[in-house]
Amino acid sequence: MKTVLVIGGGVTGLKASHELAEMGYNVSLVEKQDYLGGQVAKHKYYKLAPDMRLVSEVLDPVIKNVESNSNIKVHKHSTITALSGNAPEFKVKIKNSKGESEETFGAIVVATGFEHFDPTVKQEYGYSRFKDVVTNAEVEELLNPNGPTKGELKRPSDGKIPKKVAIFQCVGSRDKQVGNPYCCRVGCVVSTKQAIEIKEKYPDTEVYVYYMDMRMFGRGWEELYGKAMEEYEVIFTRGRGAEVTLKNQQLSLRAEETIMDRPIQHSVDMIILAAGQAPGDGTIEAAKILGIKQNEYGYLAPKDDFLSPNESSKAGIFIAGADKGPLDVENCIVEGAAVAAKVASSLK
Amino acid sequence: MAENTDKMVIDGVELVGIWKEFMPSRILYEDVTTEFLDEVKKLPGGSTIAKCYQCGTCTGGCTLPEFVDKFNPRGFINLVRRGHYDILVSDYKDLVWKCVSCNRCTHRCPRGVNTQEVVRAIAKFLEDRKVFGKLTNDEAFDEIFMDEVINDGRIDEVKIVKDFYSKTGRLKDMMSGDQLSLGFKMFTSGRIKLFGGKIKDWKKVSQKLKEELQ
Ligand SMILES: Cc1cc2nc3c(=O)[nH]c(=O)nc-3n(C[C@H](O)[C@H](O)[C@H](O)COP(=O)(O)OP(=O)(O)OC[C@H]3O[C@@H](n4cnc5c(N)ncnc54)[C@H](O)[C@@H]3O)c2cc1C
Ligand code: SF4
Ligand code: SF4
Ligand code: SF4
Repeated sequence: MKTVLVIGGGVTGLKASHELAEMGYNVSLVEKQDYLGGQVAKHKYYKLAPDMRLVSEVLDPVIKNVESNSNIKVHKHSTITALSGNAPEFKVKIKNSKGESEETFGAIVVATGFEHFDPTVKQEYGYSRFKDVVTNAEVEELLNPNGPTKGELKRPSDGKIPKKVAIFQCVGSRDKQVGNPYCCRVGCVVSTKQAIEIKEKYPDTEVYVYYMDMRMFGRGWEELYGKAMEEYEVIFTRGRGAEVTLKNQQLSLRAEETIMDRPIQHSVDMIILAAGQAPGDGTIEAAKILGIKQNEYGYLAPKDDFLSPNESSKAGIFIAGADKGPLDVENCIVEGAAVAAKVASSLK
Repeated sequence: MAENTDKMVIDGVELVGIWKEFMPSRILYEDVTTEFLDEVKKLPGGSTIAKCYQCGTCTGGCTLPEFVDKFNPRGFINLVRRGHYDILVSDYKDLVWKCVSCNRCTHRCPRGVNTQEVVRAIAKFLEDRKVFGKLTNDEAFDEIFMDEVINDGRIDEVKIVKDFYSKTGRLKDMMSGDQLSLGFKMFTSGRIKLFGGKIKDWKKVSQKLKEELQ
């Protein structure tokens, strides 16, 4: 069987599809949305950390490689609804607006990615109560010249450019109250990137990041953090945001400045919540249909984290990317290539 | 006086460079230990202290700092954990017990620390070490109130006022004219009774309560 089903058209699924096609496999790529690129495309990310490269420089070639390859059949607006059979002969029902069809595949790759954590449940941050409390994903769209504000950081309440911006780290991550005790792994670098983007565009706007630890383990991340402090005067304050209120029509945040041993009250014009990653509905749905194991948080669980990181609990079904846990774009591309190699060796 | 050396330490006082400036040492020469952490962990309510990752959410949202300078639940936890016992006693012993139990800290703690209980446990830890010495009015009242509830199962207003004044060494004040006339007014209007009634079989309950609180 030289046919492979790839579920999910984010960077991971795109990379896996392209590599498999290059090796001579016939790939069907099933994507729920009517566009490719996953969360990066959905929220119109503009620049990627740590190099501040334009997303288009990275995502466009990855998409082009897929769309121009005759070995890949792209099913947009499609999902899978049922699975029968075993490796290496899976029968999968694929559904789109026109109807349902059954196809046979030698292997399946699940690359269904993540969802942004919805901070509404963190009531003390006032996300749904105060218009100018926004998420980092919303800021990605605001900073994109092709986005709704043509790249201007207009605050939602009155369209003004904020003079003081605070960013809260770890929103919905490292937080047992919401059941996500894990680290979102990209929040720190994304906030640092956004702070720099804001300072570049509006040098007079002050940016304060409230953090517990700045986790800068990726390539070039620590350097970006240094740059934010040295070149852009982004102020990093050690203390987790405690609450947001409205004082005289202005957003006011409370936190402890732990280095000073003192609680502080700080008035700002806009607050960005660095919302973390959570396993998406699409991932949970795919896991149910395919009958593969999830970990305690709902992410897909590898057969063995060290020895077979891209194999699911079921033979012939492979997993890759942010559906296994929070991950950055660079590593998603590595994952996409790795899973393609694993599939190829299993089907030879 | 020191010579023109870069640095010199005399009796813990550092003499710096050409300016010959006197600088008291800022280094804490403390024998830090995890002994106190272990102790607080074992006290009622103290078990979650080790989960704390020092984020400051508790202090950031705490009701008290607006009114009580330097009140800082995260800071208390840090001092216990680091074993900075001397600092805890010298700077904070009069503060820890002021917690009003609003539980904002506990509800928001991202690590599942029961912060309010931990603060209580730290207060108990200090109390057990008899660091408080003379009681403040609030503390004295708290103690009398609790004793009375435990012993009699109810509050006897006259007794509590008498005990309060006697415990704070001010029985004379109680006998002052305006206090007496206030007492008389309250008595005639039925606000206080001279002798509080007894609760049937309270002795047994009281016994049990005392055992539990031990
Ligand atoms: C605000 C924010 C900013 C970020 N910025 C950066 C950055 O600057 N640099 C960086 O390296 N990383 C960044 N990231 C991380 C980046 O978004 C992820 O690494 C990347 O999107 C993960 O790719 P993926 O393909 O694994 O998953 P996704 O991008 O989530 O793609 C999964 C795809 O699968 C589809 N799908 C899901 N379920 C199904 C189903 N059942 N059937 C069919 N299709 C399905 C989805 O529609 C989606 O298109 C950022 C993350 C956040 C939260
Ligand atoms: S990556 Fe940063 S923002 Fe995200 S959970 Fe980890 S420490 Fe918090
Ligand atoms: S909120 Fe919890 S984890 Fe954070 S400092 Fe307070 S007790 Fe520690
Ligand atoms: S319970 Fe005590 S420590 Fe906690 S927020 Fe309220 S006053 Fe502060």
